[in-house]
Amino acid sequence: MKYIALILLVWLGNNQAKQETYVCKNAKISLFSKAPLEDIDATSTQGTSVYNATTGDLAFSLPIRSLQFQKSMMQEHFNENYMESDKYPNATFKGRIQEKIDTEKDGTYPVNVNGVLDVHGVKQNRSIKGTITINKGTVSMASDFMVQCKDHRIDIPQLVFKKIAESIQIKVAATYAAYKK
Amino acid sequence: MIKKALFLSLLLLAGGTTIAQQTTTRDSTNTDSLLNSLSASSKSDPVMATFKSTRLILSETSETIKKNNLNFMVIHRFGDIAGADGGGKTFWGLDNSSDIYIGFEYGLTNNLDIDFGRSKYEQLLELGLKYNFLHQTADDRIPVALTVIGKTGLKPYSVSTNVFDDYTNRLNYFAQLIIARKFSSALSLQISPSYLRNNLPFPYLAGNERNFFALSAAGRLKFSKRMGIVVDYAHPFSSFRNNSDSPKFYDPLGVGIEIETGGHVFTINFSNSQAISPINYLSGTTSGWGKGQYRLGFTISRVFSFNKKQKSTY
Repeated sequence: MKYIALILLVWLGNNQAKQETYVCKNAKISLFSKAPLEDIDATSTQGTSVYNATTGDLAFSLPIRSLQFQKSMMQEHFNENYMESDKYPNATFKGRIQEKIDTEKDGTYPVNVNGVLDVHGVKQNRSIKGTITINKGTVSMASDFMVQCKDHRIDIPQLVFKKIAESIQIKVAATYAAYKK
Repeated sequence: MIKKALFLSLLLLAGGTTIAQQTTTRDSTNTDSLLNSLSASSKSDPVMATFKSTRLILSETSETIKKNNLNFMVIHRFGDIAGADGGGKTFWGLDNSSDIYIGFEYGLTNNLDIDFGRSKYEQLLELGLKYNFLHQTADDRIPVALTVIGKTGLKPYSVSTNVFDDYTNRLNYFAQLIIARKFSSALSLQISPSYLRNNLPFPYLAGNERNFFALSAAGRLKFSKRMGIVVDYAHPFSSFRNNSDSPKFYDPLGVGIEIETGGHVFTINFSNSQAISPINYLSGTTSGWGKGQYRLGFTISRVFSFNKKQKSTY
């Protein structure tokens, strides 16, 4: 009974507002850093994102383990030593788009998103620039920003200092579909 | 687990009630709960890096070398630190080397590798396969990792045995099942029942068995992210070895420190076993801790990747 009531409530909730929630289950998120010894390069296509066009709320979540490296050893170290993905399995970003976007109108809109980036269990307030593209009702988003290892308490031991850059470039690309319950 | 599920359902519930309360304006709780429901649970993922490398001190670990990667190992055992052959006159064993092992392991798939190595001890050559056929999962649906090892050893020269007539006498076979569990990110333990056959009993003495079983137990406890203590022990189930007085046999036991730096893993250890290969140390460990016959040893392993360059994402 409780469940039916809950489902009903959710259903009601979804119906009363205009359908303005967009989701993406296969956001492409990649990281790259240039280091003297070897470049670090990994990609995941398992990022998830929710965009609420009414409020401008934007959220991303990335399972750290889904990042694929070219070198399996590097992937293991990334998870084991740097990101501690058993303790902190996901990196998330939760924020709000500052600009008002009309999802009915085609075009490319540069946006600023203010929110909280949670990586390695350390939350940082960030303002991240990106673009939203509306093309015949399809919403897609792209962003490119830097993350400093020390901001998220990702320790790099002295011995491997030269191998790993202290700032990592993150690239995000997501194409959304309207969320239907 | 239950806590997580409870938390999730609470979040969902919270999402549901806020929608009920504010049907016209949606807040971020909705976005959160939606994101949570979208994110697939990663609980059934295999546990990664039960051990840092494929070797501890005596034992091989449940880890295999991943596809198209090559592991190069140099393992060294010095001479006795104390006792009759140790002390200052041999610089506490550093003047001698009781065994040197040079080995290569190549990943055929992510779970199967092929191994080749040569020991100084008995000049043993060995070729083996190692297959990690079961992975421990994060949700404990599978609580352990299982790995099998099959090895063939060849002693091409007569080193300490006089009888070396038939070529088949030079062959040895070793089979092992490794049962390993990562209890936490710091503690990993494994036990490994094994079977050894020496076509020519080693050491070549009257009454010595050709076949016997053995059980190994090993573990690693990390005290920092990159360093840990390793203990490794093996017991051969051999009545000849239990009853023999001359020579007297001892169970191999090693203790050491493991240090990981990027692609390298170093192990610095002390052990009573002179030999590095299980074919040798299970058969012929006649040196004991109590007699001062323990030695310094080290293992260096370096993994090289031969994966073809993927198309860069940049």
